[in-house]
Amino acid sequence: MSVDTRKVIKNGYRVTRTRGKTALRIRVPGGHLETRFLALIDRIASQYGDGTAHITTRQGFELPGIDFERIPEINKLIRPLIESLGLSVEVGDSGYPAAGTRNICACIGNRVCTFGNDDTTGLAREIERMVYPNNLHFKIAVTGCPNDCIKAVMNDFGIICTVEPLYDPSRCISCGACVDNCAKAVTGALSMKDFSVVRNPDICIGCGECIRKCPTGAMRRSSSKSYRLVVMGRTGRKNPRIAQTFLKWADKEAILAVIRNAYGYVERHIDRTLDKEHVGYIVDRTGYQVFREEVLKDVTLSNRAIVAQHIQWGGYRYTSDAGFR
Amino acid sequence: MKNPFLPEKIKILEVIPETSIDYTYVLALDKEVKPGQFFQLSVPGAGEAPISVSDFEDGKLCVTIRKVGRLTNALFALGPGDFLFARGPYGNGFDYRDFAGADLKVIAGGTGLAPVKKLIKTFAGSDSVSSLEVLLGFKTPEDILYGDEVRAWVQSGVATLTVDKADDNWEGNRGLITGYLKNLDLSDRARCKCIVVGPPIMIKFVTAELLLLKVAEDNIWVSLERKMSCGIGKCGHCKIGDAYVCLEGPVFKFSEARRLLD
Amino acid sequence: MGYQLSREQFDSFLARLQEEYRVFGPAVDVDGGALADTDRITYKEVRCLGDLELNRKSYFSPKEIFYPVRETLFRFCQGDTTEPQIDGKKTAIFLRPCDINGIDRLDAIFLKNGPLEDFYYKRRRDKVRFFLIECTTGFDSCFCVSMNANRTELFDVALRFGDEILADVKSPEFEPYFAGLAQKPFEVRFIEKNSKEVRLPGVADITPDLFEHELWKEYSARCIACGRCNTSCITCSCFTMQDVSLGAENQMGERRRIWAGCHVNGFADIAGGHGYRQQKGDRMRFKTMHKIYDYYLRFGKHQCVGCGRCDDVCPQYISFAGCINKVSDVAAER
Repeated sequence: MSVDTRKVIKNGYRVTRTRGKTALRIRVPGGHLETRFLALIDRIASQYGDGTAHITTRQGFELPGIDFERIPEINKLIRPLIESLGLSVEVGDSGYPAAGTRNICACIGNRVCTFGNDDTTGLAREIERMVYPNNLHFKIAVTGCPNDCIKAVMNDFGIICTVEPLYDPSRCISCGACVDNCAKAVTGALSMKDFSVVRNPDICIGCGECIRKCPTGAMRRSSSKSYRLVVMGRTGRKNPRIAQTFLKWADKEAILAVIRNAYGYVERHIDRTLDKEHVGYIVDRTGYQVFREEVLKDVTLSNRAIVAQHIQWGGYRYTSDAGFR
Repeated sequence: MKNPFLPEKIKILEVIPETSIDYTYVLALDKEVKPGQFFQLSVPGAGEAPISVSDFEDGKLCVTIRKVGRLTNALFALGPGDFLFARGPYGNGFDYRDFAGADLKVIAGGTGLAPVKKLIKTFAGSDSVSSLEVLLGFKTPEDILYGDEVRAWVQSGVATLTVDKADDNWEGNRGLITGYLKNLDLSDRARCKCIVVGPPIMIKFVTAELLLLKVAEDNIWVSLERKMSCGIGKCGHCKIGDAYVCLEGPVFKFSEARRLLD
Repeated sequence: MGYQLSREQFDSFLARLQEEYRVFGPAVDVDGGALADTDRITYKEVRCLGDLELNRKSYFSPKEIFYPVRETLFRFCQGDTTEPQIDGKKTAIFLRPCDINGIDRLDAIFLKNGPLEDFYYKRRRDKVRFFLIECTTGFDSCFCVSMNANRTELFDVALRFGDEILADVKSPEFEPYFAGLAQKPFEVRFIEKNSKEVRLPGVADITPDLFEHELWKEYSARCIACGRCNTSCITCSCFTMQDVSLGAENQMGERRRIWAGCHVNGFADIAGGHGYRQQKGDRMRFKTMHKIYDYYLRFGKHQCVGCGRCDDVCPQYISFAGCINKVSDVAAER
């Protein structure tokens, strides 16, 4: 049997431990799927696979037990599902056009969750349309609030939807609900002075909990949305680590422009002797300042946005497992 | 229209330390007042609080204040010649006519003595009551208020004084005030009238004991404590049941007070 | 006198009204909700008919228009006190019968409870005029009919909004604004049946053991003491004083009052560390008894007007209407 493994992998299939069998990886940007596609997934799994579907760690479906020869038939079948992504490129009957940039994950967001500061599904789909198809290895996730249920901090680019609370002292009854909650469950950014609330913007993380707790609407949402962009988090064998904040209080356009620019940055600096190179390792090599300069090129930041001057990623290093020595 | 929230500026004439945390302020305030009424006292910027009148005569009015918070800390910084602000008096206070010809028993715990001090002074040695017995309880000898007057009442046989706890230097009575209720002369139940003032828990146990001793509910008066913000029936902080402590109280007959559940 | 106005005529009426009145009504506060991308209906100044939101209930009641959430009572400087001036304009409010009745309940506390009138309430309240929004269907959580608060005569002008606007001008103060408009007899109608009905306990059936009843325990477990039921209520009137010092040694500053709520921690604290009603269930009992029992004993009508806002806003889905029914059931059992 002859299979161009590189080609099928880029087409959204995987080489599996059972010789001759592959698995189809279905993208579900934002982790939200119209249920009409479940019937299609069922049909492919039943007719071509082993009748099962795995829910992937990146919110997609993986259908195992498929013969490599059936790929062309399956690619025709999944055309409506791929078309539903609204990509800018023509898809036709040839299946997924790339696989390097992974499914854009999102928590359930404010379509359902009361904590959510934005429509994460919508934003994930918007990012999907912006960056996909692309074979560079990028992991991007959107989380609705700093609770970070989607674990954006484990991604190359994690977008944390935030809100700037606006305080109107004339509506405040000094009940302390916001201050107590912030002290106990958030970062303690709020304090009470002369029966009014004082916010320390340096440690406020924009979760919006003070707004939810307020019984009078003294704390309200700012009219413009803001985002925290955390970068270069990862799992992996070498140095798993959580992402660090690159931008605070940025607007959506700036966040999207940075991610777009990051693709160019990777193109310029990637080590082409490797099969693939993850963006985080490239930043390790070029240094943060080069990354910063290149991804911010021609990006207009709002007055409120703040860029990290330096970033020191920590993370885990297996070579210094001191506790075992 | 007159604005009842605007306080008057009042001169402090004298400050008398009673204990390490209770001071009596003698104020230049000439108003018609009844014992048991209260004023809303304030230091602008530090706050306002209801404070019972403890004594008054000849254009002077006394309040005894315990240092427990922001306002009282600010008050403690003031001395003779300084000013504080007051509005009132508020509340019903004690009506002397209720006790005419009675065997009057006044049972006061701690700072609860303040609102009945003037009343005790008035009835001690007066013919308007048939007899007067005062039962005073404090936590320790260091907490005793109005030391000179209390000693005089004890010496003249009007008052019995007890403290919850004391070291060996204390030669007087020890133990909770409830333990001394049985010593009161309650022989003429029809003529016996009792006033109970003090912390909520003390009022609860003393009134329960008095009822067991067959004192009629209608012959027991209590003074209830609530932290009014306004003193004039608007702010809602002192409402208990259908009564506003600042309007119908703070002095209630127990037959009424027991209806006010909280 | 009854009048009929086109929508354009109504807008020009509003424009003229604003020369002498600040005009408030229920309006959409876009993205004003506590949750992202949600609106909130609140009482705001309205300029034209299009500003009025007539199909959704407001989150907060109109009481904040004349009873501010936070109000400076006076400023002091070196021992002198000065009361702040208020806007000289009168206030016109578009509101429903339940809210007019609710304001009647507030009036009783601020103007009739005890011998003194509340100076600050009165000076604003005296300027208020009511433009009744005819309400014949209500909303899901309303129970005004059960509370006998569905009708009112205390309006200056009553209005029916449709393709045309019908007005019953009761107060002569507003006749000049309608002069020259088409006359049409109009008598405002009131809702006669809500989708939610509440059974009130008989006043005589509220006995002391009800205060100790275990039905309140449920609320100790469920209520989080946020106070939204108080802040959204048209009839909750409680407040707390605050002093703020601006300069050193309390030489300058202000005394103000802020809304207080019996569900909020600290409301029933007294000096020396003691606090009443530490259990949230006790607070629910205190509020319930005030709304449907002890206010009645003082003023001869129930305080609650069944606007249902407390049910709309409770993050714990506690239903006050449901609580009243539970109290009734327990009272009737015995």
